[in-house]
Amino acid sequence: MSHEIFMPALSSTMTEGKIVEWLKNPGDKVERGESVLVVESDKADMDVESFQDGYLAAVLMPAGSTAPVGETIGLIVENEDEIASVQEENKGNQPEVSTSDQLELVSNKTEEKLVAQHEIVEKETKEVVLKSEKPVPSFNIDQINAATSNVSSRIIASPRAKKLASQIGVDLAKVHGSGPHGRIQADDVLKAKGQPVSIPWIGEGGSPASIPGSNLGVESKPETSGNSFGNPGETVQFNTLQKAVNKNMESSLDVPCFRVGYSINSDKLDNFYKKVKQNGVTMTALLVKAVAKILKKHPQVNSSFSENGISYPENINIAVAVAMEDGGLITPVLKEPCNTDLFELSRNWKDLVKRSRSKQLEPDEYSTGTFTLSNLGMFGVDRFDAILPPGTGAILAIASSKPTVVANSDGSIAVKKIMQVNLTADHRVIYGADGASFLKDLAYLIENEPEKLVS
Amino acid sequence: MDNRTAIIKQPDNISFFNDVYKLQKEYQEALILDNSNPDFIWIGEHQLCYTLGRGSNYDNLLFSLNDAKYDVFKIDRGGEVTCHMPGQLVTYLVLDLKNFNKDLNWYLRKIEDIIIKILGAFNIDCHSRKGFTGVWIGNKKIASIGIGCKRWITINGFSINIDCELENFNKIVPCGIENCLMANMIDYNKNLNIQEVKRIVKKTIEEEFNFDFISK
Repeated sequence: MSHEIFMPALSSTMTEGKIVEWLKNPGDKVERGESVLVVESDKADMDVESFQDGYLAAVLMPAGSTAPVGETIGLIVENEDEIASVQEENKGNQPEVSTSDQLELVSNKTEEKLVAQHEIVEKETKEVVLKSEKPVPSFNIDQINAATSNVSSRIIASPRAKKLASQIGVDLAKVHGSGPHGRIQADDVLKAKGQPVSIPWIGEGGSPASIPGSNLGVESKPETSGNSFGNPGETVQFNTLQKAVNKNMESSLDVPCFRVGYSINSDKLDNFYKKVKQNGVTMTALLVKAVAKILKKHPQVNSSFSENGISYPENINIAVAVAMEDGGLITPVLKEPCNTDLFELSRNWKDLVKRSRSKQLEPDEYSTGTFTLSNLGMFGVDRFDAILPPGTGAILAIASSKPTVVANSDGSIAVKKIMQVNLTADHRVIYGADGASFLKDLAYLIENEPEKLVS
Repeated sequence: MDNRTAIIKQPDNISFFNDVYKLQKEYQEALILDNSNPDFIWIGEHQLCYTLGRGSNYDNLLFSLNDAKYDVFKIDRGGEVTCHMPGQLVTYLVLDLKNFNKDLNWYLRKIEDIIIKILGAFNIDCHSRKGFTGVWIGNKKIASIGIGCKRWITINGFSINIDCELENFNKIVPCGIENCLMANMIDYNKNLNIQEVKRIVKKTIEEEFNFDFISK
């Protein structure tokens, strides 16, 4: 059984609070009354305590983020063996907690403080959050039963759902929430508008955008609205992750970078991908594997600048840029892909992506990359260049694989799938010839021997 | 509202920051365990030191943490870095807000009002600024506020610059506000001294929170 930790109301006028620090990590034991996190509003901060003995199973909002009062920010379970299942359920920030737990939790609050706090939350959210007593329109009874046995008539929606609703003109009162306790998620807003549910905007996917059966058909949904973290006329503060990215991006201005590009025929790679996809192999894993294999032959491209000279890392660790739904990006790292088979690599990657979404990566899982991949292939872009992350020597930008009319060496004309890749490198350690020969070998592997990527 | 008993401590000598912080924590813990325990007020001065809240940005500290010249403490309060030193009067309030108003915004505004009253007693005209917690004279900051709270029991409080070396604030970005100018009370009323301010601080808190003080 899991219990939710809500963003508390530190005052009657507070609409949202900032999570300063999680004092416990997921998996940690917590005692009733023990401080689990610190929330700040203005110059005051407050310890938020656990309502019962148990274990912190999931952190749904990371330190540094801001959440509306009443929002679920973490989950506590009673038994240690429930941690894994709760974490599994909450990957992707969509907790499925039964509503009866909520009621029990409220009635269990013997301490005056907690009850009072909850009352403030109720009062507060009624004022701030959009209100309506109108019945939910056309949704099937099962869904309604599943989630609208909510404690009150208040409408709880994720911040993204609220913004999306105001942007595309959806009345949240008429939206059926599929989240815990009927909380409205961004997808629910899209559904209500009759729009296809967008994939989370995350850099996982097949680079070749046109693989049949791919569920990443972003190209075919041009009506899907783009990302925005604010409304017209607003200036929205950077979140912690965005600030971190800004810092990294700015530090690249001190690095003398050059770019070198290559057009790679991906026909064989695509065919190979179709074969192995059913075994759970992802395109990202294939590309990571290919890049790692070639980096092994080209250690210079895996090197980086340091004050003492050219630094050659002991390992080849490939970081892959993943955009986060609520802004910023993170670079989960696949460690030593050369020593990991393709299937395990794919499983590792899926796990990393899931945990990135729920913000549960350990620092060494996103900060130890020696080379970075940025893949925008699933958006159908034909080319782009990437900005070099600090502490590394090179990053490879991978664009979409597109059917292209090409001239063969014998003068004949053919249609081939062409994927453009673009290497950005620090010229202090990696020279044009290094980058070019790396790309040449990468192209050769992808064009001729993709089956070698298995092991 | 019935008057509540509060223990007040106001040492004349300069106190080491960490000792007082520990003392506050003890009174806070005692109140958490048993709300019949007394509230606690401390009014005094510290040696030069810098303190950070739990969410503070270290970039606002303009010297290296390894610089042994300065004492830096990370404590349970909101807000950004600040600085304490002799000539600055620090007031800590360990209060059980359940007896007043369980509202941290109310509490912050209440403290601002108290500071404005204290300065008013010395004919110094000052004001609060929306969005910039603290008390200001024109565009200069005269008093800073930072509080922590656990089960509605507060810790930390406010500091008023009376006659201190404001240059010490140059080593930080006070409260995270760039180009924040600081002021001393002495610059606005030549006739005051810290003992006199201390007396008014005590009196104002006593009245505003309906305390019966027991000295310790």
